[in-house]
This record gives sequence, structure tokens and C-alpha cells, in this order.
Amino acid sequence: MSLKRVEDYFIGRFTAMAGPCEILVDTDSPPRGERALELARQEARRIERKFSRYLPDSEVGRINGSQGQPVRVDEETAHLLDYAATCYEVSEGLFDITSGVLRRAWKFDGSDRVPAEATVAGLLPYVGWGRVAWGDRTLALPAGMEIDLGGIGKEYAVDRAASLIAAEIPDAFVVNFGGDLYASGPRRGGRPWNIGVDDPERTGDATIAAIPLTRGGLATSGDARRYILYRGKRLGHILNPKTGWPVEGAPRSVTVIAPTCVEAGTLSTLAYLRGPGAREFLEAEGAQFRIA
Amino acid sequence: MQLDAPERPRAVRAKLRTATCLLLTAVAPRFAHAADPPAPPVPASPPTSQIDLTGLFYSERIRVLEPTMRYTRTYSSGRSFFGQVSVDSVTGASPNGTLPTGRTQTVTSASGRSRSVSANSIPTVNFSDTRIALDGEWQQPVKMFAFSLGGHFSHEKDYQSEGVTGRVAIDLNHKLTTLSLGGGYNNDVVSPVGGTSVGMAPYGELTGAASNPKHVKTALVGVSQVLSRKWLVGVSASLSSEDGYLTDPYKALSIIDATTGIPLAQVSEQRPDTRQRRSVQGDSVYHFTSNILYLSYRRYWDDWGIGSHTIDARYRLPVTSAAFVEPHVRFYTQTAADFYRFGLVQGAPLPQYATSDYRMAGLQSVTLGATIGFAPGGRRRTSEWTVRAEYVGQFGDSSPPGTVGVQTRIDLFPAVNVFSMVVNYRFNR
Repeated sequence: MSLKRVEDYFIGRFTAMAGPCEILVDTDSPPRGERALELARQEARRIERKFSRYLPDSEVGRINGSQGQPVRVDEETAHLLDYAATCYEVSEGLFDITSGVLRRAWKFDGSDRVPAEATVAGLLPYVGWGRVAWGDRTLALPAGMEIDLGGIGKEYAVDRAASLIAAEIPDAFVVNFGGDLYASGPRRGGRPWNIGVDDPERTGDATIAAIPLTRGGLATSGDARRYILYRGKRLGHILNPKTGWPVEGAPRSVTVIAPTCVEAGTLSTLAYLRGPGAREFLEAEGAQFRIA
Repeated sequence: MQLDAPERPRAVRAKLRTATCLLLTAVAPRFAHAADPPAPPVPASPPTSQIDLTGLFYSERIRVLEPTMRYTRTYSSGRSFFGQVSVDSVTGASPNGTLPTGRTQTVTSASGRSRSVSANSIPTVNFSDTRIALDGEWQQPVKMFAFSLGGHFSHEKDYQSEGVTGRVAIDLNHKLTTLSLGGGYNNDVVSPVGGTSVGMAPYGELTGAASNPKHVKTALVGVSQVLSRKWLVGVSASLSSEDGYLTDPYKALSIIDATTGIPLAQVSEQRPDTRQRRSVQGDSVYHFTSNILYLSYRRYWDDWGIGSHTIDARYRLPVTSAAFVEPHVRFYTQTAADFYRFGLVQGAPLPQYATSDYRMAGLQSVTLGATIGFAPGGRRRTSEWTVRAEYVGQFGDSSPPGTVGVQTRIDLFPAVNVFSMVVNYRFNR
């Protein structure tokens, strides 16, 4: 965890949810920068621990270890599951938090290893939110199936951290967890924050655009960091839960701006899942976006 | 670039907007409307509890074993509750205020027991007592204010204390400045074993009162200021007013022969029945890259004539991410109460007030100690052990002016050396 002054704002960094996290605070007060960083870090860690699929005693770990038995969940988890159910519905089954088991077949490490079609087909019976019984804060997940809130959790953590910071810190700030971010409002003098969009060809080294953002959530979906090379094609890590194969023909990256980070993240994922239809989808939805 | 496209929520977005609102308002009301500034959140994190188990071992003329259990529950709204139970078991001997003689001397106590002491040692009274104390405090933040209300009760066979405290802290200047105001009231009852002595009368003469009231009113004001990311300073002042029975029921003074210095008789001590205390204190906490330096200075004075200066310094050094060492040093000096007498000379008129309690004498003390802390859980820190060891040396005037005869050859203020060790185990649930 570190906090340093850059020009006239503070930037704090830490690592959480398997990625770099940043908080930018438009202030001259180091304690306020520190406080914002601490709040962001605590909330990121809390959500990571609570919903990690790697921890058997997390909410998700408990559900995945339930062996077909119904599991009663707490209120926060219930709201996330309700949200996931809505995403499943509006995406006609493309956004599915049970698709994580497909990762057993896929290793997105930049290599050219593609699983046997039979392997993928063998996993498909364990994928499908439609097979899950969810209601009254109780989830019954058929044995062998798993859920993964990774597709929502980071964006949710961004919005949560932002609301905690806004309650304590009067200054404008940006919360950025691994590229999913939220800006709280204009900087001093009415200036917007400048958000760079990562170049998918040279990820981490270059940006292809700068988006001025005053207030709201911004999220990007794409294959920049995790992909597989197959017959000269780059297959991104986002899988189509209906086929078990990576989405084809999708843009390299889809950036969406929305009032909250959760909404931005969901829209960018939904657009990406539509492959070549990403732009059409976002235009039809009247979203603010940028496609590369 | 489509960034300037007008926002027209369509089918999917409309549903997502609703779902997002439900998700985020569930834990953070009114948030998620981009046009509004985000509102304070309703806590989603569960309350945390902290339990402290402490044992104090103390050795001076008296031995103390004081186990304490403290429970702190903090809710994510900032509200917190703490409760503490402690039991002191005290045994040992305390000086009774009279003087050594050079001859065997008899000491009687108000309860009628008597015993002999050797010639050159300070006469003492033996005691053994168990004290039970309960403390609780409720704290509630409301916007920029933090209110707290506390209660105290303690009981031992000759002393009972009940008290309340209230405090409000106000955050100003974006929390860089905190102003605090507080007050307290204590209602105590002193019930000396064997009865209440008549002050300045022969030791053993009783007033007939079984118990005597004592009241303490306290007010304090303080301000703390964040000067930089690394430096916090504070100043505070307190005022307290005591009235009632402020005399130590077990202390007496010797009446000595004006030439030989030999004690001839004893009278019970008598202190005024009011006391006004004042203090001001300055604190500084400086956070170096990883070490922390705590400095404080306190000036105290009261209308009994006691004035003191205290300088305290601690330096916290992390050894690993899970352990720290904190050396501690303290210097203290005080002037004697106006009515402090090492003894009274026979034939002179008795003063209205007099005490020979060494704690009312001019004295200096030095504290040297260190705390070692260790969190076995490493960075997650679910539990922590701390061990504090301390030496306190107290020094006064061994041969105060006015001593005569045998008293000039005897150390009238033997150095007091106290060793104490506190072991604390804290865990979070």
C-alpha cells in the first residue's frame, strides 16, 4: 500500500482482487488521501474475502461446497445473486455466473492450447443459471455446479468503496480496481478526470484514448490481458456459456460509461458477449461507449 | 467516440439500471444516482468484537494481582460499546505515616489491633483487600459529533465509588481538528475499617461516623490537530473539584520530643475537605517511516500546594510485520503539600491540617520500561500479545529540614522501588 502526491492530487495504490488497485484524491490533505486509500483497501479486502471462490468459508465457497444442499445466504449476497439473475435474464443466458466451471477446460495463458471439444461438452451440463433454484434468500445449486461472482464483484467493490469514501471525504476522487472505476465528481476548478484506455496490443504500456470523466462508472471488457491463440486467432477469456467456447468476433475492448461502475461493467460484458454485435447492442441501448 | 450520445435507457439498460439501484441501495441508500453526490452508506460489514484479558503483577511494599477482562464491540456505523471487569487482590503493608524511633515502637490501628515494629524501619499497617470494579462506555457518532457516555462502579470493603462521565468530540476543518469537551461526577463513600479517626487527635480516637462521603466533579477541554500526514498534536486542560472526606483514614503523624527526636505519641492525620486540581497537557505523536514517537508533557497544580511536571516519551519500533518493541521513559517531580510534615514537635500548637503521607511530600520519580508486542496471526492480526515490564523509582528528601535527635540518623524517605509487569492478550471475534 502506498500513497504519493502527483501534481495537485494524491494517488494511492494497493493490490486486491488479483489486480492493481488505485485511488486518486483531489486534495492537498495527506490524511484525507490516506483515509480514502484505507477505506478503499478495507472494502476491497472485505468483498474479496467474502465472495472469493478460492476461500471455502467465503459465501461463494460455502455455496460451491454445498453438494446440492440448499444454502441460506445473507442479505448482501442475496442482492448480488438477484442482480446476477437479472443479468442472466436480460442477456438471454449469455451472462451466467455458473459458467466458471468451464475454466477447468480453458487456460488463458497466451499459449495455443485449446481443450478437446469433448472436454468442453462434458462440462456444459454443469453450466446454466436456469438449473439453479434461487429464491427466498436460499440457493440450491445442483452438485458439481459452481458460481463465480468475479464478473460483478470488482465493479460492486468499486461502487461500495466510492460510497464509503464519499461519506467521509469532501474531495473529488476516483476509485479504480483493476481498470473498473468510478469518479465522484469534478476536480477543483471543474476539471474532469482523464481516463486512459489501455491499448490491447501493448497492454500496460500504452493507451489508445483518453476519456474525460467527471462523474460515474467506467468499465472495460476485452481480451487484453487474458487470451489464447488458436489458429492465428486470439480467443478472449470471456466464454459463451451456451457453447463453452470463447466469444468469437468480439471487439478487442469495449469501454462503457454509466452512472455506476456495476452498470458500466455489466453493459460492457453484455456487449462483449454479443461478439460482432457489440457496437449494435450498445448503440441500440443508447449507451456511452468506446470500442477498439 | 460515442461519449456525447444522449442517454436514452433502452430495454436492457432500463432493467439493469433498476437492478443496479437495488443492489447498491441495499447497502448504500440514495447512491447510484449519478446526478446526486453519493450519500452516507448503511453499513454492510458485520460488527466486530474485541476481547482483552490482562493480568497485572505488581510488587512494592504491597503486592497486587489484577486480572482484567475488557470487551469492546464496534459496529461499522462507528458506534461502540466497551465493558470492563477488574478484580484487584491487594496484600501487603503500607507506611502508616509515623516515624521510626531507634527503639521498639508500638503501632496501633484504628481497629484496635497493635503490634511491634523494629527500631529503624518505617512503621506500616498491614492490609489485605479485594476490589471489584466495573466500567462501561457507550459511544455514538452523529455526523461531525461523537458522543460518549460512561459509567463506573467499584467496591472494596472500605471504599465504594460510583461515577458517570460524558464527552463530546467535534470534528472540524475536515477532521483535521478535533475539539473535545467532557465532564464527570463521582460519588464515593469512605468507610474506614474500625471507624473514622478524629483528625489531629490521638490515633485511635473515633468520630463515630461509619462512613464518609466524597464527591469529585471534573471538567475537561481538549483540541487535537493533524499538522501533517505524519504529525498529530494535542493540548488539553482539566479542572476538578473534590469535597468531602479526603483524609487517609489509616495515616497518622508522630509527635516527637523537641530535642531527642524520639516519637512520644501519634495523632491521626487531617487534610482539608476540599481540593481544586488543575492540569494542562500537551501531546505529540510523530510517525516516522515505520517508527512512532510519542511525547507528552503535563503540568499539574492544586490548592494543597502540590505542583508537578511530568515528561513522558515512548518510541515504538516495529521489529517485523508482526512484532514491535516500545521503550518507555518518564520523569516526574512534585512539590510537597503545604501541610506536609514529617512529624510534629511536642509542645508546639497542633496545626489545623497535617499529613506525613509520603505521597504528599516533595518527590521525584523515574519510570523505565518497555513493551513488547507480538501478533501471532501475522498480517491478519486476529490476536495480539503484549507484555509490559516497568520499573518505577521514587525518591524524596531522606533528611528533611527540621529533623532532630534520632530522626537525623534515619532515612525518612527510603527510595520506593516498584516493579510491575502487565501481560495482555487481545483477540478479535
